[in-house]
Amino acid sequence: MACSCSCCGDTATKLVYACAGAANTGYLADQVARKLNRDGAADMTCLAAVSADLSGFIESAKSADKNVVIDGCPVACGKKIFESKGLPFMHFVTTDFGVEKKKTVITQEVIDRVAGEICKAMNA
Amino acid sequence: MMKIQILGTGCPKCKQLEANARAAVASKGVEADIEKVTDIDQIMEMGVMMTPALVIDGEVRSVGKVLTVDQIAAQLEGAN
Repeated sequence: MACSCSCCGDTATKLVYACAGAANTGYLADQVARKLNRDGAADMTCLAAVSADLSGFIESAKSADKNVVIDGCPVACGKKIFESKGLPFMHFVTTDFGVEKKKTVITQEVIDRVAGEICKAMNA
Repeated sequence: MMKIQILGTGCPKCKQLEANARAAVASKGVEADIEKVTDIDQIMEMGVMMTPALVIDGEVRSVGKVLTVDQIAAQLEGAN
């Protein structure tokens, strides 16, 4: 949760959304978003709520400095949700980071590596 | 009666948004109950990730901005 006051320091708000889907790569998307949230790189919020048109989530996405959408496969449901609402976003798909759907075991090492790469790309 | 909620933890911007909302309500002559919401859990349950935020009749209208009196007045017209 970010306060937009100047008294609260860095006011850039980055929100991260993950499509957890049902496969290992969606699980990775979720875990990467949670790691970015834990590390303070972005605030994780709810992709399903954006899809459901809940006003607080939509307005937060409109006001954020950056929305980062992480999908777990090239079907890219998260991307499609943001496009359908006309919301600006950066997009990542976990299968672009050398993990295979239904094959790669999602270890902490994989989560840390993909989170690091996404964090670097979203701040480039 | 219209219900207006100002979401924020009590910072200067939240107070300014509340003042602007009260001025907008007065200028439009609408009957409205203005409530301040400072509980962070309640704010986040509404999906609001930045404060201050303005809610009219349960719908979040702005997030992370201090709307002007005129902007809020326009929102009140839209809500009627």
